[in-house]
Amino acid sequence: MADTVRSGARAAAAGRFELSRLLRVREAGVFIALVVICLFLTFATDAFLTSVNLLNIGRQVSLLGIMAVGMTFVLISGEVDLSVGSTYAFSGLATGMLIIAGWGLLPALGVGLFAGVVIGVVNGILSTYGRLPSLIATLGMLSIVRGAALILTNGQPVTVNLRNGAQPSVLDTFNFMGQGYLFGIIPMQLVFFAVIAVLAWLVLSYSNFGFRVYAVGGSAKAARVSGISVNTVKIWAFVLMGLLAAFAGILSLAFLPSGQAGRTGLGLELDVIAATIVGGASLSGGEGTILGTILGVLIIGVMRNGLVLMGVSPFVQELMIGLVIIIAVGIDKWTTRRTA
Amino acid sequence: MTASPANIVEIAGVTKRFPGVLALDRISVGFRAGEVHAVIGENGAGKSTLMNILAGDLRPDGGRLLVDGKEVKLASPLDSRAQGITVVYQELALCPTMSVADNIMMSDMAARSVVSLLPRDMMRREARAALTRLGMGGLDPDTKVGRLSVAEMQLVEIAGAVRQNARVLVLDEPNSALSKRESERLFEVVKQLRAEGVTIIYVSHHLREVLDIADRVTVMRDGRTIVTMDNEGLSEDQLIRAMVGRDLGAALQWSLQVEPRPEGEDSVLTVENLEAAGLEDVSFSVRAGEILGIGGLPDSGKDGLGDALFGLSARRGKVTIDGKELRGADPLAAIRLGMSFVPADRRGAGGLLRMSVADNVVSASLPRFSLAGFVRRGAVRREARAQVARLDARISHLGQKLGTLSGGNQQKIILGRSLVTNPRVLVLHEPTRGIDVGAKAEIYSILRGIAGEGMAIVMISSEIPELIMNAERVLVLRDGRLSGELTGQSINETAILARAMTS
Ligand SMILES: Nc1ncnc2c1ncn2[C@@H]1O[C@H](COP(=O)(O)OP(=O)(O)O)[C@@H](O)[C@H]1O
Ligand SMILES: [Mg+2]
Repeated sequence: MADTVRSGARAAAAGRFELSRLLRVREAGVFIALVVICLFLTFATDAFLTSVNLLNIGRQVSLLGIMAVGMTFVLISGEVDLSVGSTYAFSGLATGMLIIAGWGLLPALGVGLFAGVVIGVVNGILSTYGRLPSLIATLGMLSIVRGAALILTNGQPVTVNLRNGAQPSVLDTFNFMGQGYLFGIIPMQLVFFAVIAVLAWLVLSYSNFGFRVYAVGGSAKAARVSGISVNTVKIWAFVLMGLLAAFAGILSLAFLPSGQAGRTGLGLELDVIAATIVGGASLSGGEGTILGTILGVLIIGVMRNGLVLMGVSPFVQELMIGLVIIIAVGIDKWTTRRTA
Repeated sequence: MTASPANIVEIAGVTKRFPGVLALDRISVGFRAGEVHAVIGENGAGKSTLMNILAGDLRPDGGRLLVDGKEVKLASPLDSRAQGITVVYQELALCPTMSVADNIMMSDMAARSVVSLLPRDMMRREARAALTRLGMGGLDPDTKVGRLSVAEMQLVEIAGAVRQNARVLVLDEPNSALSKRESERLFEVVKQLRAEGVTIIYVSHHLREVLDIADRVTVMRDGRTIVTMDNEGLSEDQLIRAMVGRDLGAALQWSLQVEPRPEGEDSVLTVENLEAAGLEDVSFSVRAGEILGIGGLPDSGKDGLGDALFGLSARRGKVTIDGKELRGADPLAAIRLGMSFVPADRRGAGGLLRMSVADNVVSASLPRFSLAGFVRRGAVRREARAQVARLDARISHLGQKLGTLSGGNQQKIILGRSLVTNPRVLVLHEPTRGIDVGAKAEIYSILRGIAGEGMAIVMISSEIPELIMNAERVLVLRDGRLSGELTGQSINETAILARAMTS
């Protein structure tokens, strides 16, 4: 009798195993979803499958994508960073103000990026040696950095142009970073995203550091017993995140080319986390890939673009994006074995 | 004490104190290079504490540790590993989201430069070699560890340890979670490692297996080493005789004379052919006013019995209270028919640690203390005060948070919560785990008091003295089945151990 109980349980477990095996490569599921959405939009609209529109989508998702790459490292290491929207605003505005003040491009960029690194270090230290949950530490930093941006700009908009005092040569290059096209067709933002994604993919999948990020998030105890410094790895993940959020913020200002501390990047952290999680990263750590994150970012970008092309109201768009997040993550949870 | 050169690890007069417990009392034992050294002893004897000290997880309060005759300090698991000592924990130190190869090679990777490339092919090759060494060549190094069985995980952990040139491998009750086949596999691995010169320290309750694979056996009791014997012509009986004789200490003074129950009284709780996780074909009954003890090893199935009876886990078979059948997997129905359950995990499942003493006392009978959806505070306080007085719980005031009480007083309040529901049957799982001796004795006399008022009590416990002192009848489980029933004068340590341990 007990044998039947047990073999029944085993058969059930095996069934679930088969199904999860099919969906095991989490990217496969996200990829299929992306293909289905694209096919649907291709037939439903004329404008979707054109090189101009596709490159446009690429441009639109680039900044989100650059930040999601950083978030992938943080989530895999078992932490989360809520301060990225504020970092994005602070670093962009700081760089913009320095350019207006007549600084050269590299020093201005350097200061903006360095601010991102410092924020990352603080996030990392608070979440490790400071023993605060990163949810709390970075929630605090979200406000602190946003406040710092408001103080820095005195709440005024920052617009980078000649009239405000930027040097013409600096302004040209700065604008090109945000608005330009490589070979006259590929948006520079997309070029940056692609280069960063490829580098991150190499680091995460093929380097010893990437291995440690997975180990630390998968089981801090196993990592520690093996001689990996858990805190060091996590701090580096936060630093990388801060750097990429700063860079995305700078590109955003170069694209627009103006921003305001009270508005820029507000709530962006949630989009970034959503895209990363749709791509298969887990809030409990140890799981996620750059490829998955790229697909997650693309799904959100394609959805937004397609809904606009189909003339769906922005209110409904928001709702649909929310459904995608729940369904994408839900499919994973409902089909895989509960016990990891 | 001088170290014998043949001892790879020597424990010299090591003491470890926990609040209220002397877990290790100036213990001395030597582990010889290349032997399989079994450590046995009753639950609470101090075996795991000793192994955790070897693992670098606990620091001794006194005494010395010698490795290769030289004194060492093991301040962290890393220190232990550096000495070639690896402990395979029951909660394994593995990364479930990574592959078998990643886990086996993790220490190697940690030793390399963080900016180097990951040598995937080499990792896979080396991992496979390590697995093949243990006769596990069939395991795919690319499988995620989270998908393996517990047995396979243990073997992966051992493979990693062996790769790190572990010279001493500690296995603390490795087979509590393993099937028979898996245990046999593990023994093959143990024998193989011994042949390669690895020293193995093996903590186990399974005397037959101990006699099969150990070169020497050390028996522990009450934080002391009683004897270390060569495994030549040893028998299970001899091992049991060495294990018994626990110091029952102050608790014994409180032991009341248990009066035998008049025959022929009606059973309150009857259990017929119970099948549940780890339990097969278990039948018994409990009469009003009786304390029934249930004992057995950690893997005997006894730890799943409380959950199964109360309906927290799935079960088959017939359970009745006062003749009314209780459906499975329905704790609310169990409460309604008059069953109350005090789980072993006091801090987790048992009490509401962040709520007040008063709230905890009434939390299982809220409807009785509510009026139109509002809690009647006055009635709650009256009842809580009554229970606190009856159980003699030491608290500062009724609003005190449960979590701030000592273990013994927490347990009294949790008992009080059960009593407020006026149960017919009280099921207790490890009722005095982690409680100091004085509070234990008080809880025992409370339990005998409520039994005297006609409640049926099922006491599931790993502590043999507790069963001897309180139960009129003791059922012993082994491998998921009843292996013996003891009553009255026949309840003693040797009898219980013999039924729990020998096969
Ligand atoms: N972390 C701890 N805190 C308090 N007491 C403990 C702790 N660990 C073990 N003990 C106590 O120390 C004694 C020995 O426990 P343990 O070493 O686990 O025994 P064994 O493994 O032989 O069953 C027991 O009385 C136990 O309650
Ligand atoms: Mg133990």
